[in-house]
Amino acid sequence: MALHAQKLGYNGTALVLKFKDYKDKSAIIKDVQNIRNHFQHDSPFQIKVGLEIQARNPTDLKKQVRKFRDKVDVILVHGGDLKINRAATEEPRIDILCHPYRNRYDSGINHVLAVKAAENKVSIEINLKYFLLTRPNQRYRVLNQFRQIVKLQRKYKFPVIITSDADSVYDLRHPHDIIALASCFGMTNDEAIRSLSSVPLDIIDKNEIRRQIILPGVRLVNDEGQGS
Amino acid sequence: MKLKILPTHLRQKKRYLAFQAISEIPLERDDVISLILGASGDLYGAYGTSKIGLWVVKFWKHPSSENNMVIGIIRCNRDETNSARAVISTITRFKGKRVVFQTLGISGTIKGAITNFIKLKTADD
Repeated sequence: MALHAQKLGYNGTALVLKFKDYKDKSAIIKDVQNIRNHFQHDSPFQIKVGLEIQARNPTDLKKQVRKFRDKVDVILVHGGDLKINRAATEEPRIDILCHPYRNRYDSGINHVLAVKAAENKVSIEINLKYFLLTRPNQRYRVLNQFRQIVKLQRKYKFPVIITSDADSVYDLRHPHDIIALASCFGMTNDEAIRSLSSVPLDIIDKNEIRRQIILPGVRLVNDEGQGS
Repeated sequence: MKLKILPTHLRQKKRYLAFQAISEIPLERDDVISLILGASGDLYGAYGTSKIGLWVVKFWKHPSSENNMVIGIIRCNRDETNSARAVISTITRFKGKRVVFQTLGISGTIKGAITNFIKLKTADD
């Protein structure tokens, strides 16, 4: 699948594990290493490991975040429940809030959550698989939810990320197709490109220096790093 | 008697989308047409579909692949390429099995689409 993604012109993927899969992580990582060896060493294709947290309540969420923050590259939260959505947007250690609109009639975020998400740099996910696999007579609802998110994003400037949530080649789309799809829910081309490229890049960059950050705005710099 | 064809400046301006489709069961040309028109009806309705002007122009089976991969060319109106792309990427299922359509590129002529994106030996017929 990763090979296919590279053919379509992507620069990297995040492999997202469910919590219940986490135990056989070492086996999965071995697989990933094997796939990595298929690529040439100079190719820019990257594979990151992410974890989707499915929490029962906000305290449970906090506990799991603390446990896994240093072990994986990206932390995602399984949204949908209002309390979980709220707790996730208030937690700066979380990168992405997945589908806050899942099984709901509204988008699951309001102006309060939007402000919080912008403060803490929690990205709101627009899940293409959720849209594509919804029955056609229900799709208007999903489009409405996405449109609401885009509207809030223009005002409050929280990061929005478009994801494929693919588990086979059948969920992968060409980047330009995704941009065309994004225009269906009112995103302009620039916004769609940003949420496909620079938002994920920001997340990765932020996580690479996360350990050096002591307080917001204060960063620990190595002596070697200063010298060079 | 056949109608005389329109003078060039009155014809509808077209674009050609080269696409590839991977599916779990083999696809025929008629299946592809019904899939695309059905998806377009679902996404944009009758009004939107009439504006896009979708049609499958060319269609080949990909010879060298273990998947049921087909490639082809879709015609659409020049101003609606974006919505045509959106339509073909919303196709997910065919007879209960998974299928995916991906665009390879957009060209102004059929010949250009074949030489630039399809790259098959069958291009000359």
